Amino acid sequence: MRLNLLTTTTIAMLLASSAYAQETIKIGVLTPLSGTYAGIGQQVRWGIDQSVEEINAAGGIAGRQIELIYEDSEANPAVAVTKAEKLFTVDNVDFLTGTVNSGATLAVGQVADRADKLIATTVSFSDAITGSGCSPNVFRVNARAGQQSVALAAWLKQEKPGAKVYYLGPDYEMGRSTVAAFKERAESVGAKSTGEVFAPLDSKDYSQYFGQLRAARPDVLYTSVAGNDTVRLFTQMNDFGVSEGLTILGASGTVTAQNINAIGAAAEGFITGVGYSVLIDSPENKAFTEAFRERNGADPDLYGADSYGLLFAYKAAVEAAGATDTDSVRAALEGLSWETPQGTKTIRAGDHQAMQPMYVVEVKNGQFTIARSIAGEDAIGPDTCDKF
Amino acid sequence: MPDLISYLQFVLAPQMLNGLALGVSVILVALGLTIIFGLLDVINMSHGEFYAVGAFGALALSALGFNYWVLIALVPILMIPIGVLTERFLIRRVYDGGDRHVSTLLLTFGLGMIAEDLLKIVFGPNTHRPENPLPGAMEVLGVFIPTYRLFLIAIGAVVIVAVALVVYRTRLGAMVRAAAFDRNMAASLGVRVGWVYSGAFAFGVALAGLAGVLLAPIYSVFPTMGHDFILMAFTVVIVGGMGSIWGAVIAGVLLTQVQAISSLVISPVWADPIVFGVMVLVLMFRPQGIFGRIGHA
Amino acid sequence: MHDRLDISMRANHVFFGILVIVALVFAAFACFSGDVFYLRLATEALILGGLALSIDILLGFTGLLSLGQALYFGIGAYVSALVLREEPSFWLAMGAAGVSVLLAGIAGGLIANRVRGVYFALITFGMAQVVAKVVYNSRELGASDGLIGIPVIEIPLGLITLSADDPLGFFLLTLVIIALLYSMSAYLLGTPFGRIIIALKANEKRVPYLGYSTWAARMAAYVLAAVIAGLAGALYPMLRGFVSPELLFFATSGDALIMVIVGGAGTLAGAIWGAVILTMLKSVIGSWTEHHLIVIGLIFMSAILFMPKGIVGMLKPFVERNLLRNSARQPKPEPERTAL
Repeated sequence: MRLNLLTTTTIAMLLASSAYAQETIKIGVLTPLSGTYAGIGQQVRWGIDQSVEEINAAGGIAGRQIELIYEDSEANPAVAVTKAEKLFTVDNVDFLTGTVNSGATLAVGQVADRADKLIATTVSFSDAITGSGCSPNVFRVNARAGQQSVALAAWLKQEKPGAKVYYLGPDYEMGRSTVAAFKERAESVGAKSTGEVFAPLDSKDYSQYFGQLRAARPDVLYTSVAGNDTVRLFTQMNDFGVSEGLTILGASGTVTAQNINAIGAAAEGFITGVGYSVLIDSPENKAFTEAFRERNGADPDLYGADSYGLLFAYKAAVEAAGATDTDSVRAALEGLSWETPQGTKTIRAGDHQAMQPMYVVEVKNGQFTIARSIAGEDAIGPDTCDKF
Repeated sequence: MPDLISYLQFVLAPQMLNGLALGVSVILVALGLTIIFGLLDVINMSHGEFYAVGAFGALALSALGFNYWVLIALVPILMIPIGVLTERFLIRRVYDGGDRHVSTLLLTFGLGMIAEDLLKIVFGPNTHRPENPLPGAMEVLGVFIPTYRLFLIAIGAVVIVAVALVVYRTRLGAMVRAAAFDRNMAASLGVRVGWVYSGAFAFGVALAGLAGVLLAPIYSVFPTMGHDFILMAFTVVIVGGMGSIWGAVIAGVLLTQVQAISSLVISPVWADPIVFGVMVLVLMFRPQGIFGRIGHA
Repeated sequence: MHDRLDISMRANHVFFGILVIVALVFAAFACFSGDVFYLRLATEALILGGLALSIDILLGFTGLLSLGQALYFGIGAYVSALVLREEPSFWLAMGAAGVSVLLAGIAGGLIANRVRGVYFALITFGMAQVVAKVVYNSRELGASDGLIGIPVIEIPLGLITLSADDPLGFFLLTLVIIALLYSMSAYLLGTPFGRIIIALKANEKRVPYLGYSTWAARMAAYVLAAVIAGLAGALYPMLRGFVSPELLFFATSGDALIMVIVGGAGTLAGAIWGAVILTMLKSVIGSWTEHHLIVIGLIFMSAILFMPKGIVGMLKPFVERNLLRNSARQPKPEPERTAL
């Protein structure tokens, strides 16, 4: 009897260890698949799917295949939190990503803290996520608002020193803080502020602000609108002739693959500071872009590119740590450098913010051409996280 | 003195003219809603989605090669059968239960949810925009305004007058008003109430679709666009009086002017609360709106 | 008094009782399997059930369709969150939330109760939208990101102390609270004053002829509903650790309305059953397809077209018949015959 027991136990252990080798690494993707941000969620999905396909085809992470589990966050933090808990406790994912709006990222970050798991965002650019609201379990691989405005302000200093700037933004937290951040930087490089106005989110008609805009006689307009709001603002400015002789600058989310076709000719000449452009001249980017176009029939934008790059970092961290548990992976991610279509990114250990070269991009003929680039260290800004 | 004139010419007048263009858009959407409400006593929470369907329809058909001017007539015509089917198979079923307002509100709310998701499935979540067929701008009495907006004001006025004529001056309109006033009596006088109801509903949603086509070049097209106008449209309908065409017109112009002018002096975020406040005041002191119901106008 | 209304209420109690039993069985299972997620999901379902209950009081009993009950739910949640961030006391948070929604409900009621029907629906919708926008734009309230960092609190209940983090404990506490809210509503609706409220739905024009004030009755019903929604909302930050403006948006009110219709308007218990069913459905559907709006929309429309009384509403007649049969068996006292 005992011999049988020994044999059975040995066989069981052998089976278990071979099963472990086949066990997949589960990664949860909690992203808006419906609602206003569905366009961004689509890019996130495309980017992550492509990276997983490539990683799995090359043997997975330490020999284990990646399994993705998608959930729709509906861009509603209440829904996101519930689904995050499901992904962590029922599906037992090892890692979670995909959150788009900052409220959802912060709330899901709190869930991750309590569940002792790691999350990373590839879209949210509120400075608070790796600043005042930072958390040891939250990482960010995309450029935050601060990095974008440093790049843009550098361009402004060089191309239009002492310009008069007018600010127009959507009236909510993100819109206001983006404008405030850029305003501070612009003033520090010598630009003059001639006024600002905040329109309600989802405004249909921006023509009511053109009177004030014209009266201020600015050289430059900075705006932080996004999505449909950008389409309306730009085309209406064009219709009314307001954009004549005006240089338009904006946040990185203002003109993306999601709305550039709808904006059409009115986007010509728009300039922004962003972490990605399809025209970045590197072999990684060319390979990535070609494959992306073939798979999805559309160009990648910053959301697609940042999402694509994330899992390569995760892979490097897990392989370096030799384990998937939270503490080991966290330690491996801090300070990690890896190759992405945008160049080399490094995760700063102090606040979990990725450092990367930033680009000043100008829209010409519907393409995001690169006007200049700024080194990662110059763009990243100070580490304001004091929670760990 | 020159400062005042300059203010009038460069700030107030353009603001009011633009408010008028916006007002015409809102009126077109609200007209359909007031007809459906006034005639059928049906609260159509999916009205915004019919507006979206009109815009997307224009997008799809123009991809097939139809000229924009043709679309202005074609899309509303195509929406009529959709409206008839919706009324016959959905609205009519809950029509005779108790509490028609609640059940139609809820039913069309569900319909709106489905329509929005269907649009997203078919057309994708991104934004589209048909080209503006009348680019450029003109100067009118010293005020600079894009040509397309002038066209919008003009055609909006034409449509509104046409609708009013049909409803108040034709035999068809008389039948419709009779059926709204007293259904059984009208039926006993030979009015085909069933067809009248379906037709009225279809007419209402066709108007919404027309608004969608006309506004697409300046407001762009995306699956959640139905939410843009719905609160404003309901407010206009209520303030103007449910079922009243002139009420909708006057309330539409009034409310959009209030919004336009108030945004000059206070932060634009308060525009919506102000409009809502006007609605509350009207409801508190004159609940039937400015002009009351269509059957009794 | 065993009249129809009384039988109807008792039938509601039967359904609620079944819900409680099912909940306890579920809790036992979850406890044995060490589950965390489903207990929290069920707790959230119960909290939303409280919101649905408040809608049912207005829709099913007073005949008023409120499209903005999420306003009071949200106010309760935010007040609770703000209190907890300063002073992690359960009773203080609940109390503060209760008082704030009482005041807000009176204010809202004064505005909304001047009108009826669809106008009432639109005013309540508008009120919720306006306040939601104000909250969305207020830095002090966390603006569009909401407030995170609500601490996990200890709840002293006399003999025992629960931690809000304990899934089973908090679930049972929520169940008790919802049961209390249900009982309070059922009791109030059974009193003579409650019957005036019910009379409003049946035929509002007649009520003044009977000597009662419609306005007072409607205000009472409205404030009661607001307080229930607010108390339910106050539990939310304790469960999830955060609040966001989306709690005030129409999506929340709309979801709760769907719960009431699917569960059965006018049955009180139906609202809570509806909440449980819809939450379960959403969880399942969400994992299965991203087109959940279409599925929920279809379910909702089918409920209105084919099952307007809701699930509990459909099953109630069977229970009522049984109750009638039971009460008929009891000997009735001989009615006094008086000469006319």
